[in-house]
Amino acid sequence: MSVGDLLAGIASDIRYRLRAIFHRTEVERELDEELRYHLERESEKHARRGVAAAAATRRARLEFGGVDRVKEEVRDARGVRIVETMLRDLRYAIRGLRAHPGFTLAVVATLGLGIGANTAMFGVVDRLMFRPPAFMPDPASVNRVDLEYTFHHDEIEMGSIQYQRYLDLARDAHTITQSAVFQNRQLAIGTGDDARVMGVAVVSASYFNLFDAHPVIGRFFNEADDSRTSPTPVVVLGNTLWRTRFGSRRDILGKQLQVGSLNATIIGVAPDGFVGIEPSEPAVAFIPATAFAAADFPREALKDYGWQWLYMLIRRKPDVGAAAAAADLSHAFELSWESERAMDPQRESVKIARPHATVLPIQAYRAVGGVRSPSIVLWILGVAGIVLLIACANVANLLLGRAFGRRREIAVRLALGVSRSHLVLQLLIETLLLALLAGLAGVAIGEAGQSILRSLFLPDTTSTAVLGDSRSLLFAISVALLAGILTGLAPALQSGRSELTSALKSGVREGGGRRTRTRNTLLVAQAALSVILLVGAGLFVRSLYKVASIKLGYDVDPVLYVETDLRDTKLSDSAQYQLSTRLAEEARALPEVRSAALAMTVPLYGMMMWSFSVPGVDSADQLGHFALQMGERDYFRTMGTRILRGRGFDSTDRPHSEKVVVISEGMAKKLWPQADALGKCIKFGDDTMPCTNVIGIAENVKMNDVVVDEGLQYYLSIEQRQPSGTTLFVRMNDDAEHYTEMVRKRLQPLMPGTSFVIVTPMRRILDPHLSSWRMGATMFLVFGVLALVLAAIGLYSVIAYNVAQRTQELGLRIALGAPARDVLRMILGEGLRFGLAGIVVGALIALAAGHWVQPLLYGVSAHDPLVFVAVAAVLAIVAIAASAIPALHAVRLDPSIALRAE
Amino acid sequence: MTDAPDTAKLELPQGTLDLLILKALSLEAQHGWAISERIRQVSSAALQIPQGSLYPALHRLERRGWIKAKWGESDNNRRAKFYELTRTGRHQLETETAAWRRLTIAVRLVLEMQ
Repeated sequence: MSVGDLLAGIASDIRYRLRAIFHRTEVERELDEELRYHLERESEKHARRGVAAAAATRRARLEFGGVDRVKEEVRDARGVRIVETMLRDLRYAIRGLRAHPGFTLAVVATLGLGIGANTAMFGVVDRLMFRPPAFMPDPASVNRVDLEYTFHHDEIEMGSIQYQRYLDLARDAHTITQSAVFQNRQLAIGTGDDARVMGVAVVSASYFNLFDAHPVIGRFFNEADDSRTSPTPVVVLGNTLWRTRFGSRRDILGKQLQVGSLNATIIGVAPDGFVGIEPSEPAVAFIPATAFAAADFPREALKDYGWQWLYMLIRRKPDVGAAAAAADLSHAFELSWESERAMDPQRESVKIARPHATVLPIQAYRAVGGVRSPSIVLWILGVAGIVLLIACANVANLLLGRAFGRRREIAVRLALGVSRSHLVLQLLIETLLLALLAGLAGVAIGEAGQSILRSLFLPDTTSTAVLGDSRSLLFAISVALLAGILTGLAPALQSGRSELTSALKSGVREGGGRRTRTRNTLLVAQAALSVILLVGAGLFVRSLYKVASIKLGYDVDPVLYVETDLRDTKLSDSAQYQLSTRLAEEARALPEVRSAALAMTVPLYGMMMWSFSVPGVDSADQLGHFALQMGERDYFRTMGTRILRGRGFDSTDRPHSEKVVVISEGMAKKLWPQADALGKCIKFGDDTMPCTNVIGIAENVKMNDVVVDEGLQYYLSIEQRQPSGTTLFVRMNDDAEHYTEMVRKRLQPLMPGTSFVIVTPMRRILDPHLSSWRMGATMFLVFGVLALVLAAIGLYSVIAYNVAQRTQELGLRIALGAPARDVLRMILGEGLRFGLAGIVVGALIALAAGHWVQPLLYGVSAHDPLVFVAVAAVLAIVAIAASAIPALHAVRLDPSIALRAE
Repeated sequence: MTDAPDTAKLELPQGTLDLLILKALSLEAQHGWAISERIRQVSSAALQIPQGSLYPALHRLERRGWIKAKWGESDNNRRAKFYELTRTGRHQLETETAAWRRLTIAVRLVLEMQ
């Protein structure tokens, strides 16, 4: 019988039996009808030949035999007792698995690891990129709207839109049932000592209508609260904030809470899990867009087209496609464009600007804010998939070994009349049972692993639990079933096709050449896949090491920076500067503080540029991206940036003394390649300004980016310029992380009104820049080691099995005086051959794939020989170790027992 | 098959019924009664299938996916359950026919042995 027929047979069998079980009455009724029809035709036949009607019926019945007995036989034939049969198969499978606990455990653990790793990874990727927002009904009909227009032949993507534009589009688009705008903002919540910066969703009242969510207490805000003319300062708390900050108290309704510049009344609490549309940027509170704007901006901001700040969501009418909605919104945008042109005649006409709208899936912007490099996430998903493949190969190998061992049992059952398709079905049930057990183990492993993944990929407020999450559970079960079918089908079919007579005649050890080849291939594939993952791990670890040891030009661990948020406190520029200097003095007074200095910006955070000119150098400020920093006298000491020549700022640099500048070595070389930069003149602003003299050369620092930075920086004395917005750097005696809260507590009392300080360790600024490499290194390493362990188990089980099969032969060799060394070498050699084949195949694939990995690496070639050699060595050692145990076992064989073994 | 068959008629060897049903269905879809009639006619009534045993066999074949059933109008305009061969069934018919031929030739050779 061909495999296709066998499968078709099984499929038809299952379909037929399922119908017999679940549509029993219908099936029975059909049988009645079928038999009645037969009897009628038969008696008609007799009647036509002249038999009287009653006699004809009797005769037909007689010929037919007992109708009830026939029915009973039909029921047997259709297998209505299938439920019992299935249960019997299941019991048989359970008994079989319990009889071989080692085998069962090996399969469940191996497959469980593969499924667990994939389930945990799926949970993260799904939440980052695919899962629709919680509480949103029919998310497929909700879209984000992108507006575009042409300006000077360039397609301009507007990104965010104006409030007035949103109103225009909502009014003029006819294919939508709902529309809303939102913006996620980092705002300070609370006042004074309690103030913390958190993610707040600034939304239109219609935003809540997109969801099917009901407040736990109180209410969401409505159109009246979110009115452009008289907005109400209200806030809806997220569930997490309500629990953590207000202890789930119900009497908070009506209380005031400072949110950013808004002194808002708490009117409701959102249900648990309601965090807005971006799970990677969960909102802890929701405030009306109009109230937010009214607190900080003039009234006109909502009425004209000057301020782009909102993102628009729509829900399409039923049976309106995305393209139709886009066309409709484009038309509405054209009308809106005309209104804008009426207010701002400089705008080009609709014909030239060609304003148009596109609609995107709600997930379109996922993983942009959350993770720096979404491609890394996809890579890791692929890596998890490879681990699953290895696990499947491993399990297929174990099953093939077991099927081989059961050859005679199967042959006996076939000889006893068990149908082949039933046998195959039974073996499949056994494998599926194993797979489901492995799925359970996988869920447990995934649940344990998800907290690690969460800390790497998702903010703490988003749960990544596997248990209780239907999508993750469904994924785990699907993967388990797939793995079960994938690994179980081949061995089951092979058993179903086995030659009866030869199997009955053969001993345990004979035959199976084809099976051995399959097993060997699987083994080499496992080793090769492990090599690929380990090479990846090695490359990422080397990249991470290289990135982490980049010279930044400033210290990270001992340094904190302090920012201030004034909120609605109004201070003049000079008062702001004085407040900053008071903060700096207060910080210096702390015994744990080594030094503190005011500055302008934070490295890697943002960059400032001024225009300047240099006498004798044409358009000097166009020679590169020169980054401006300002610093107090202790700036360089605080940051740990070395002054190479000349001096840093000191007490002689007063507001009215001669203006001074320190420049980086890179800038000195750029502007004066031949001459000494010290004492040279730079004119900031236009060239009529007085000279600012270069008094020192500092080492290059990484100002914009850890990896790509030209090293072009200049430092102005902050005491001479006294800008309003400043940052305070504080250098501690040791690791700054522990002092964050202490410094904050000490400085906060100096802040007037609702303003507050934010203290952050410099480490926090640097970490995101290393995160993609750190993630790559961690995940490749974890999965690579997992793969290695699985491959080692696979190799061990095959070698051990082979040794067991060859017990007699080995016993004979030993009895004939073969030295233990030779036996050992023979078996270790077998393991090593597998290892070497895997190394060669894996290395070749890794070399070929290097092209795609290269852009993710830093400072190391994807063909790095060190990594390849190290991985080859590790795999060879593991191969020898995995075969050492069976080899030693073989050496210790007692020939007298071994020879008698069967 | 425990129905006492007419003594003048042949009793079917085990497993032959399936083959006969498949053959009877090889030309066109038939309902149960027509299958039994057809076998009776073609075999000049020499082979009489115990009518009751036909139905368990039909259902077994359906379960195996060799034949499939659908309800339709019969020649006298009544609702009847029609069976027809599937691709697997046709394949099966060929295999079993060939096997049957080999068997009968072998048996005849042995019996005609002088």
